[in-house]
Amino acid sequence: MSHPPHQQINRDLLRPLLQTSWRFYVLVALPAAMVLTGLISWLSQVTFGFGISGIRWPVYWGFYVTNFVFWIGISHAGTLISAILRLVNAGWRRPVTRCAEVITVFALMIGAMFPIIHLGRPWLAFWLFPYPSERLIWPNFRSPLVWDFFAINTYLTGSLLFLYLPIIPDFAVARDRATGLRRRIYGVLALGWRGTPKQWHRLETAMQIMAIAIIPVAVSVHTIVSFDFSMAPVPMWQTTIFGPYFVAGAIFSGIAALLLAMAALRRLLHLQAYLHPVHFENLGKLLLVMALLWGYFVFNERLVTYYGNEPAEMTVFWQTQRESYAPLYWTMVVCNFVLPLILMGIRRFRTITGCIIASIGVLIGMWLERFLIIVPSLGHKYLPYSFGTYRPQPVEMIITAATFAAMILLYALFSKVVPIISMWELKAGDHPPADLIPPATEEHPIGELRL
Amino acid sequence: MRALYGLYADGAAAQQAVNRLRAAGLTDGQITIMTAQPMEDFEFGHIDRKNRLWWVACGGGLLGMAAAFGLTWLTEMSWPIDVGGLPTYAWWPNLIIIFEMTMLGAILATVIGLVVTAGLGRRAGFYDPEVTDGSILVGVENPDPDKVKDLQAALESAPGGRIKTL
Amino acid sequence: MPNWGMAVDLDRCTGCGACVTACHAENNISTVGAEQAARGRAKHWIRVERYWEGEFPEATLKFRPVMCQHCDNAPCEPVCPTYASHHTQDGLNAQVYNRCIGTRYCANACPYNVRFFDFFNPSWDKPLQLQLNPDVSLREVGVMEKCTFCVQRIKSATIAAKAEERELKDGELQTACSQACPSRALVFGDLNDPESEVSRLSRSPRGSKLLEDLGTKPKVAYLSREA
Repeated sequence: MSHPPHQQINRDLLRPLLQTSWRFYVLVALPAAMVLTGLISWLSQVTFGFGISGIRWPVYWGFYVTNFVFWIGISHAGTLISAILRLVNAGWRRPVTRCAEVITVFALMIGAMFPIIHLGRPWLAFWLFPYPSERLIWPNFRSPLVWDFFAINTYLTGSLLFLYLPIIPDFAVARDRATGLRRRIYGVLALGWRGTPKQWHRLETAMQIMAIAIIPVAVSVHTIVSFDFSMAPVPMWQTTIFGPYFVAGAIFSGIAALLLAMAALRRLLHLQAYLHPVHFENLGKLLLVMALLWGYFVFNERLVTYYGNEPAEMTVFWQTQRESYAPLYWTMVVCNFVLPLILMGIRRFRTITGCIIASIGVLIGMWLERFLIIVPSLGHKYLPYSFGTYRPQPVEMIITAATFAAMILLYALFSKVVPIISMWELKAGDHPPADLIPPATEEHPIGELRL
Repeated sequence: MRALYGLYADGAAAQQAVNRLRAAGLTDGQITIMTAQPMEDFEFGHIDRKNRLWWVACGGGLLGMAAAFGLTWLTEMSWPIDVGGLPTYAWWPNLIIIFEMTMLGAILATVIGLVVTAGLGRRAGFYDPEVTDGSILVGVENPDPDKVKDLQAALESAPGGRIKTL
Repeated sequence: MPNWGMAVDLDRCTGCGACVTACHAENNISTVGAEQAARGRAKHWIRVERYWEGEFPEATLKFRPVMCQHCDNAPCEPVCPTYASHHTQDGLNAQVYNRCIGTRYCANACPYNVRFFDFFNPSWDKPLQLQLNPDVSLREVGVMEKCTFCVQRIKSATIAAKAEERELKDGELQTACSQACPSRALVFGDLNDPESEVSRLSRSPRGSKLLEDLGTKPKVAYLSREA
């Protein structure tokens, strides 16, 4: 993996921290305005009553829970790239890990707001936290929503720390280059890092432990989010496939988000020397694999439902396949399966532009998938008299748009204060441990897996 | 003097400097090395390798597991409420809480262990910003005044070094 | 310890809707207006479901009053994060408004769709606010509500009987819907008393439970139509 020499790396990757152009202010101002609009919308919902949303009997979850699952899903990008690729020592991961970890942290933060946004009485959200109260009431640990609370907080803490630890040496570089107040802030953030072998070893061990710990947490988080659905006796919800299905879908949408972020960074921060087409190709291949896996899970779910022919389930089945939700359903299939297969499966199309188009399609498709899991089922439970249709209202649509704006805003602000590519990891790639130097073409006895 | 050190442009020169310092009678613990990235293809990059972070992580995980089990057991048994006909302590759902807090304990213990064992958060010893520019620093902190001459000679013998003192 | 339940005789039900009106009056359930009702915000703790069979002019109409079934294996209870929905010792599925933070998970989990969300703060056109029942609390926006088997009536009758140091007689305690039903289609009582009318009716060969195969163990027995 070729990349520029040491000083050049420092210069290129610290440039966004030390210089700002007018384009940055535009990139921040527009999303900030959208986020503010979203905040005002939500406050109007709290003030005027939940009724201004589109939620109704019996479809009590709509856009908000869709967004919740969608954003928590996107947060699985970082874990896959960062943790798994670190553990299998894939060298091409080095410029990509921090971009991915940042997506994880911010997507989690945005997703974690939705359990509060969609509450009827959000000012009481703190009751989900286990603390001894005068009411002698603790949270119900049997409830999937309390599992969500624990899981998302654990994952957020873990991801934040997993993001922060490798930034410490880069904060040290920034500290040594900056002046004035920024020097002091970076100095605090760098925790007095010097770069002795002792510190490097401890850091790398800690990162390894975190990588191994964060993978089961990530799998558990989206499984627990899927439990929000599979624990309720709703037709086409109460299925054991939801756990793996959701995790696979999460990784799928996470890779798509990562590809888009990388493409944007490459263009806006002029990182062509660091993010090569091969990075996009490799991630594009992963996107293809996840698209196939997604198709496998959908096929599984629907074939088993079709064979079961249970009246309540088949009502929901036909709703998505043939009736009112059919346009959304088939759009989802094209976006999630057909498009990635064509664009990522045919080598000629597996370019950066192809990756961008496929990723945008996947994000649209995965958002639709969450929506189509939630709304048709809730609208068609067991008693036909109580079927209902859901129509989203402006407040929900504005808040949905605001979350995308929030992601762009947070990402832009982050890349302004922290180098978006891990500098020391790039440089460390030139100094591999001695026992890894034999090239992959040489035979290794089985059992010599190096972690 | 607080410190005597040399800045070298590549790992081979730094390795030479370290070897000469050892030949001059210093132990590994007395030699300070600083790099801008881990250099595992050189021997000096392997000093101080052994650490106990794995045990710390496991310990933290066990603490988390105990805390979660205590939290769920004590709260659910002290205030038993019938929900959906489930038993008072339903271990299947509680396993999820226990798992999450185990992992949280392991993660937090790892980070705290890192901060403590790597000496982060407090400025220990000397530092030169040129390290982050790519130079490798090899030197001695608070050198014995009698041995300064020998140490300086050792540092100068490695090629391309710039010797500095603090 | 009583185990409260209900029996609904579908042969007697005429679909008049008196039970719905009585429930609104007894439990301080506000109406929401035509526009909000069209948007699905009506809160009918008991509703009369109507199903048509056949085509005009041979169409027949079936009525079925559906209220909270107070299931013994209620799917709405384990999913509430704050224990707002839980099972009492006398067999009721209790909804504690003060603990509800409005996640609406319980409503999604309920297969009978008998749980309702307060989309707005309740309001009554004057002078209807004068007929509010002082025994029942008003629910603010953001909480879930549903049929309670008129728990305020259960409590006051139980307390009165205890004060008089006697047992409750079958039929002495009625929910608003069973009291208002002109054809005595709705019968409320103690399922633990084998002699009570509701126990007798529950044992009827015409009796079945709604969505029983889901395993919720509902406590409302529906007696099928003969005609």
